Amino acid sequence: MEEQVGALWHRLVTRASAHRFPVAAVRLEDMVGLIGIYFRALGGDAGLEVKAADEHRHGARRGLLARIAGVGDRMALAWRDDRALLLPPLIDRFPEAGLNRDLYLWLAALATGEARKDDDWLTGNQHLARTTLARFPGLGDRYRRLVTAHLAERPDPARLPPPEAEAEALIRQALTAPGSVTRLPRGRRPPLPVPLWLHPDPPLPMGSATAGPEGDEQERAPDDPSADLGRRRRQAERAEMPHKDAGFIGIRMENILTWGEYVRVDRATDEEDDLERAKTAAEDMDRIAVARDRKAGGARLRFDLDLPAASEDDLVLADGERLPEWDWKQRCLLPDHCRIQEMLAAEAPPCPLPEHLRRTARRLRDQFQALAPARTWRRGLPDGQAIDLDAYLRFATDRHAGAQGDPNRLYADMRSGARDLACLLLADLSLSTDTWVDDRGRVIDAIRDSLFLFGESLAATGDRFAMLGFSSRRRDPVRVHQIKTFAEPYGAVIRGRIQAIKPGYYTRLGAGIRHAAQRLAREGASRRLLLILTDGKPNDLDRYEGRWGIEDTRHAVGEARRQGLEPFCVTIDPEGNDYLPHLFGSGGYVVIRHPAELPARLPLLYARLTAGG
Amino acid sequence: MSAATVLGATPAAPSAPAPGIHYQPQGREVALFEHAYYNRLPMMIKGPTGCGKTRLVRYMAERLGRPLYTVACHDDLTAADLVGRHLIGDAGTFWSDGPLTRAVREGAICYLDEVVEARKDTTVVLHPLTDDRRILILERTGETLEAPPGFMLVVSYNPGYQNLLKGMKPSTRQRFVALSLGFPHPELEIAILMRETAIDAALAKRLVVLACALRTLKDHDLDEGASTRLLVYAATLIRSGMSLLDACHAALVEPLTDDAETIAALREVIQASLGGQG
Repeated sequence: MEEQVGALWHRLVTRASAHRFPVAAVRLEDMVGLIGIYFRALGGDAGLEVKAADEHRHGARRGLLARIAGVGDRMALAWRDDRALLLPPLIDRFPEAGLNRDLYLWLAALATGEARKDDDWLTGNQHLARTTLARFPGLGDRYRRLVTAHLAERPDPARLPPPEAEAEALIRQALTAPGSVTRLPRGRRPPLPVPLWLHPDPPLPMGSATAGPEGDEQERAPDDPSADLGRRRRQAERAEMPHKDAGFIGIRMENILTWGEYVRVDRATDEEDDLERAKTAAEDMDRIAVARDRKAGGARLRFDLDLPAASEDDLVLADGERLPEWDWKQRCLLPDHCRIQEMLAAEAPPCPLPEHLRRTARRLRDQFQALAPARTWRRGLPDGQAIDLDAYLRFATDRHAGAQGDPNRLYADMRSGARDLACLLLADLSLSTDTWVDDRGRVIDAIRDSLFLFGESLAATGDRFAMLGFSSRRRDPVRVHQIKTFAEPYGAVIRGRIQAIKPGYYTRLGAGIRHAAQRLAREGASRRLLLILTDGKPNDLDRYEGRWGIEDTRHAVGEARRQGLEPFCVTIDPEGNDYLPHLFGSGGYVVIRHPAELPARLPLLYARLTAGG
Repeated sequence: MSAATVLGATPAAPSAPAPGIHYQPQGREVALFEHAYYNRLPMMIKGPTGCGKTRLVRYMAERLGRPLYTVACHDDLTAADLVGRHLIGDAGTFWSDGPLTRAVREGAICYLDEVVEARKDTTVVLHPLTDDRRILILERTGETLEAPPGFMLVVSYNPGYQNLLKGMKPSTRQRFVALSLGFPHPELEIAILMRETAIDAALAKRLVVLACALRTLKDHDLDEGASTRLLVYAATLIRSGMSLLDACHAALVEPLTDDAETIAALREVIQASLGGQG
């Protein structure tokens, strides 16, 4: 009974105190694609992702009810940094869904503007609002509607103590007439944040908090649990590395009424045996402190043990080829930045095609044989390059003899299916492909099956093809596994190598593409298709994570295009739509929703890509 | 011997030199074209769709006083479609010239639009015409035609379409002097819109700013940016009484994409750029 009353009271007081309209809520996840295109079309940086921002404590005065209910002390605001456009994960502050949606669009438009140097939050946002309204006159009505609706939910200056009342009145003025307010009086409390403006004090991107100069690279476990924390970005702050002897409790434990926000958990070196709890704790935190540790911790040790000893490792075919990498901040190529190690599986006994693929392979082979190049005269056509002499002779003699021949089938035409084509399939063998997809198999199994079926199908067409796999451990080495070269025939030996592929390490996609492009460029075919098969974004242990990897890959793809190659990406990353257009262009990739579809779809995709060539 | 309609190519009647084709030069392309013509060099024009390639060729044909044969190239276009073939008539077979042969015989300009669409073996017949020999060999009739001074070969293509499917043989490409046309710079595009559709300067400017915004989406969200031609269509619809938003939706959004999410986003972009103007 007590609990029921409590729950009822909580519901009542929360509803009474919070300006929230769940029925009219608009979620970012439903608008993320639209906002991305909108942001780019209005002049926003095409390399930015659209992500959900975190809620932050704002410290502004709250009403009595809100304080009793313990709500309204946090708010998610929008901001932009060099990696992402961050927007609230959900907007439900207005009773009409249209207004909530308009707020998203307004914030995206606002974020396309360039901030002036030396502007503070107040003048900067007013300046952005003014320039946005001037650049996009169609937003004027919407902005006025948003301001009216927002002013209705802001605190009444008449009911605030003097300095706060003045600040509130000025903010209201700044909203209705952007550019007219230059400074706010200093009050004891900050004013209520303005959801129509960008964040007053946006947190540093996690990357800039963790990434250091070269040689100070942060280790990250391949299956980083932070990936499971959804698409929200955490606020980060730097903290000193905890000393193990520094634990000192200076207060009496029984006086502690709530959980502290700052829990010194040494995640990098922690054994992380309870990931679920760590995840829940991280979900609840507003701000995650990050310390830089120069010592090798448990995770690093575990990782290094994962490396095979040289005697156990695959055969090294060639070692030492150097490839450049694109430094997107300096906008230049770093020459000889990555070292390629070409490998061949050491233990790869020849084998037949696995039983479970045989039926699909037979079907695909039949389909592909129909695609085999053939160049033949087709006769008896209504139109064509030349007269079909046999048909014409028959027609002419029939007519002389008085019979009526068919005058519509007298031409012949050379129809050609000839393809002068070379294809290189580059498969991602990073450790992330070790993930289990369902109870039947892992991503790597889907990739292995794809390689099998791809080989079987292409062998049927006679098209020239090669297959490479790659993984990386920082820029040195980038391991490229040779599965099939252009010169080798497809057969039991190649199947053995496909059977032997195993996942490991990371995805330095740019280096992989550059190496594959060099190989493919040596082929003399008039069409050269570079098919890239991956399960996610480029990433590596060092700064290759995030924007660096994306921009390097984009550059490598551009280089391949300039060499006359045709890069095409097949991915099973459901978030691929966010970044792949930036890498490959809208027509240069396909996202396959479920890895299990990959083996059968890949050869058909190839058939589609090469048809009509 | 008029059998042009059975060919795969566009009916190849020479365009009468219609007076007053207007073309607003983006740079020195008119002078380059004239130099190429008087020096008997074949010409290749590159540029995105709807940027004015065909208009330039028509304008130059009129300016130089030459008839124009235009062939829209496509997958099935064969050498015979260009050169000619034997046809069957009541009295037996007879030879019918293709548009290229006719242009050579008459000393006209032959314009192969979107030449990369044609099969690669087709374009090989152009080779002897594009070097200093300037001859066309008709194997089936045993003729060798020498092109008169008035003959000029012009090809065009859109480099954006090449990436996945087609490319032009380097041996063919290297036989042309080439010219790249882009979308006109904003002031020029505004002038073109005003001249073509008689809309006022403010509206023309708004449309051009919008087109520039949509062009930034090329290769990321859209395969191709909004062309000057589409802008002219949009302005024409507005002139004829359609609302701004409806006209832009019909002329600038729907032709550019089929993706529902992109359509919704482009509508918002148009609303933001042009809204409040009716």
